[in-house]
This record gives sequence, C-alpha cells and structure tokens, in this order.
Amino acid sequence: MSPTPAEPLLELEAVSRVYGEEVLVFALRDVSLQILPGDFMSIVGPSGSGKSTMLGLLGCLDLPTDGTVRIGGEDVSSLDDATRSRLRGDSIGFVFQQFHLIPHLSALGNVETALLYRHIRPAERRARAYAALDELGLGARAHHRPVQMSGGEQQRVALARAIVTEPLMILADEPTGALDSENSAHVLEIFDGLESPERAVVMVTHDPAVADTARRKVSMRDGRIVADERPQVAVS
Amino acid sequence: MSAFRDLLGVAWTGLTARKVRTLLIMLGPIVGVAAMVGAVGLTESAKGDLKAKLAVLGTNLIIAQAGGTFGSQNPTFPDDAVHRAEAVSTVTSAAATAELASVVALPSQGGSDYYQAFPVPVRAADLTLPSVLEVPVINGRWLTESDIKLHTRSIVLGAGLAKQYAFLPGETRTIKLNDTDYGVVGVLGSVALDPDLDNAVFITQWAAEHDFATDGKPNKLYVRSVTGRTQETADAIPTAINLGGPDQVSTKVPSDVLQASAQADKTLQQTALFAGLLALSVGGLGIANVMSISVIQRSSEIGIRRAVGHSRSKIASQFLLESLFVGILGGLAGAALGVGIVYLVSSVAHWVVVVAYSRIPIWMTLALIVSVGAGLYPSIKAARLEPLETLRLG
Repeated sequence: MSPTPAEPLLELEAVSRVYGEEVLVFALRDVSLQILPGDFMSIVGPSGSGKSTMLGLLGCLDLPTDGTVRIGGEDVSSLDDATRSRLRGDSIGFVFQQFHLIPHLSALGNVETALLYRHIRPAERRARAYAALDELGLGARAHHRPVQMSGGEQQRVALARAIVTEPLMILADEPTGALDSENSAHVLEIFDGLESPERAVVMVTHDPAVADTARRKVSMRDGRIVADERPQVAVS
Repeated sequence: MSAFRDLLGVAWTGLTARKVRTLLIMLGPIVGVAAMVGAVGLTESAKGDLKAKLAVLGTNLIIAQAGGTFGSQNPTFPDDAVHRAEAVSTVTSAAATAELASVVALPSQGGSDYYQAFPVPVRAADLTLPSVLEVPVINGRWLTESDIKLHTRSIVLGAGLAKQYAFLPGETRTIKLNDTDYGVVGVLGSVALDPDLDNAVFITQWAAEHDFATDGKPNKLYVRSVTGRTQETADAIPTAINLGGPDQVSTKVPSDVLQASAQADKTLQQTALFAGLLALSVGGLGIANVMSISVIQRSSEIGIRRAVGHSRSKIASQFLLESLFVGILGGLAGAALGVGIVYLVSSVAHWVVVVAYSRIPIWMTLALIVSVGAGLYPSIKAARLEPLETLRLG
C-alpha cells in the first residue's frame, strides 16, 4: 500500500466536477494536483472557489465528472463503493470544522468508529483508540461524551479519530474555524506534529494565518487552481 | 465474522442510545404480537374451560324427547322405551324421566299463587338417572329401590332449585306435591348437558303412579352411547323406541351445542387475530416512519461513518439490524405481554389457562419480517445519503 517517496499519495488529473443537469454549475474545472508524501499543504480561496468540492474529491467522498482521481496510483472512479470506502478508511483521516463527533458515543467510542470493520479484536481496537486519545492529552476524557467536552477537546477527539488508523493523508476542513485562538494554536501545534516524510497533511482554510503554517499553499478561484506555492521552490 | 460482530455492536449502540425512540418503534411489534398471543390465548382459555367441562361430561350423551303426532298433547314414549333403547347395540345405558305436568310443587309454606303461575317441573325419574347422566348427588342420596318397596315419599331437588330454596345439607324439609308431603332426601348435582334438570324435583315412578295416577310413560330419555358412535346412535334411537314411527321421537346430542359454542369462539379468535395482524401492519408503518425520520436526524452520523470508511452496505446493514433488533425485542416483549394478559384475565375469570406457546415463534417471526421489511426503506435511504451533503464541508 505504501507508495515509494517519488509516487504521489493522491493525484488529480484534469479533474472537473459539474453539478446540476439542466443548469450546470462548474465547481471544479480541469484541475490537476499531486499530493506527495511529506506535503503539509493548505488550500485557500474565497467562498465558491471550489475548496469544498476539492476536499470531497481528495477525500474520496465524491467522484469527478471528468478526469481522474488516483489514490496510491489507483483510479477511485473504477472502484466499487465497498473498495472505495475501504481505501478511504485506510488512506485518509478527516478533521472537520464542526468536529462531527457522534453525540451518543464517548470520545473512545468515536475514535473506535474509525477502526470498525477492520477485523481488529475489540480489546485491541479499544487500546489503539485510547492510545490515540492519550497521545493528544485526552486519556482522562476517554469516557466523556462530546457534549461534556469543550470545542478544543472535541477537535482533539476528531484528530485522534483521524490518526488512529495511521493514514497516509490527513484532510482537514477549516480545522480551527470553530475554535478560539488558544485552542486554534493548540490544534495547529498538533497538526505540525503530525508531519512526517510518509504522510501528507492537507488543510482547507480561509484563514491566512492558518494557511501560512503550511509549507505548500494552493490557492483556488472559480473552480481552478490559481497558485501552487512551494516554499522549497522559492528557496531554490 | 468480526465485521459482523462490529455491525451488531454498532446497531445495538444505535438502539440503546435513544431509548424512548426505540421504545416507540418497538410498540408496533409489541402490540401486534401481544394482540395475537392474547387473542388466541384468551379464546383458547375460555374454550379450555368448556373443553374441561366436556371432558368431564363426555360427548356421548343423547337426549331423546317424545314428539308425538301433530296436535297431540303431552306426548310420551312407550313404557319400555328404556329397554328398547338399550337394545341398540351402541347404547351403553339409558334412563327415563316423565314430566308430571298436572302436579304442582309447593316448596314452602305460602306462595302457592306464585308456584301456580311459575310451576316447578316435577319429574318421575328412573333410579339409574344420575349414573346415566354421570352427575353426582351432592347432598344426601338419590331415589332408591327402598323408596319404591317401602312406599316412602322421597323427593330429590335439582341443584339450581336447592340453591334457590336455600336448602342446607342434612336439613329436614318437606315439599308439597299437590296435597301430599314429600321429604327431601338429596340434591342432584348440576347437569350441564341438560340445565332444565337443575330446576326440577324428582320422585320415583311408583310415587308418580300411586299419588298422581299417571300412566308411568316417560317423555324424555337419557342415553349413553359407545364413545365415538354418538351420532349414529342418536339416529337409530327414534326407530328403536317408537313403534308409532321415528317421527315421534327427536334426539339431540347436547355436547354438540357446547362444541358449537366453542366453534363460535373460534370466529371471535380469528377476528382478534386479524386485529393483531392489523396492529402489526400498522406497527410496521410506524417503524418505517420513525426510522425514516431517524435517518434524517442521524444523517450527520451517517456522513461521519462514511467518511471513516464505512461502506454503503455497512450503513444499510446497520439500520437493517436495528430493525431486526426491534423485531426481536418487540416480539419477545409482545409475547410476554400477551401471555401475561392471558394469565391475568384467566385468573380473574377462573378459566383454565391455555397459551398457544407453539404458535408464538410463528408470530414472532411475523413481527420480525414486518420489522425488517419496514426497516428496508429507511436502510436504503441511509445508505444512499451522500456524505458530502450531510457533513457540510467548507
């Protein structure tokens, strides 16, 4: 499953996404992008620029109208739902602006959700979920429900859920959008710590400060990528 | 296997997390199964009482009534009607009674006008009557050979009459028949197969002939047949006992009436069963309705599960399993409730409790099918939800 360093983890090739049947809305137009291991990328752009559509396609939650999305070299459009879902679960960890935790489950239960249907024994699943929570400083809150936790804590539970499967790519949608500055800084610190040569972290944001923490910045407008800034290119 | 275990856990958690909603969904199978178990149990219990009665009374008693020709008054059988009946090979025993229409019984001092207006039936009875009826004498004794030999004027009361007269066991009491005093010697037990006898008084044939100058000819015969050949015996008796022609004798098998009444209960049972099925169907609609709403309410959860890698089929299976649990739990609770109702009502009504345990699995399976069927649409709906729409990205 692990690609060689030279291979992109995820690749969009001439991807378009069009909504509607009678009135066509072009959310993405002919976008190509490669996400490589070690990338720490932010995707920025105004409302309606196509960020969310891009995130849906990167996260394998949606399929392109035209073009190809490849994860680990595999064309996701050619996969059936079960295979695509497994690929998504194995390869991608999601962090959402609104945390999106299941309210009736404890923090531990929420993290365990990502490990279900993977032929993992319940005890091991529980141990891994607890370890992920503990890594983010939430060991003592493992049995609390989302409603009993602060926004920052909920976002860390969501982060624990995203990393517990040890995915090759973490996709974050406005990860600090619902947090105060203190919690935002904490969450960004965690994101910084998630960086590794094998893994890519992609954040969709409209907050320039958050975008600046990334080492690669993709700017979007009107469904197109208008800039793909790579600091290492700038340095060279 | 472990994936299925995970699925069971997810579905169970989904149900237990929202107990009130789950209980509301379960009401359909609970009411449906309880109605069916209760309906069949109650009608069977009511019938069980009847069946127990029939088992005691037997279904082989035949009552033959003298019919007479058109216009004849007080028709009677020949003197030897009992012997003629006993000549039928399938008859095991027979006893006769003769109604003494001209005799007025005065059970107590005064009240003669009342008893003139509402006469107590006086019957001259064979000594074997209780044994043919298979009814015990509940107080004192029945008429005996000694009463005939010694010319005693003994009288036996029917059970209903004894109760009406507040006759106490061992009490010395006389009853005037026309102007002759008769001493009460016993009370015949209740005759369920011919309740008319409960309100009559019985004297010997000798007393009837001697005191009231009757011809001793009986007008009613009680015949026991070989078990299983009751109807053909009843058909043969008119020819056997009446030389004037079979038309002058009518026979009936009184247990048939009770069995017919049990049959009538079956119609009631079927109606109640239909009502139960209707309740189950309406319950199924309720499940489909509440679960559809639940899918909308839980769309965010569905989106999250899809995002972390749960496939559409896993989502559908999760909701379908929830329906299955609803069917199993609702069916079990409904069966328990139905059985409880049967026990409660039967104990209040003093019925023999009969619960159709063998049919409960069938009804529970039905509840299960309805629940899973009702959960099918919401499950498909849940599986078709697009995660992008439910997660509201960006």
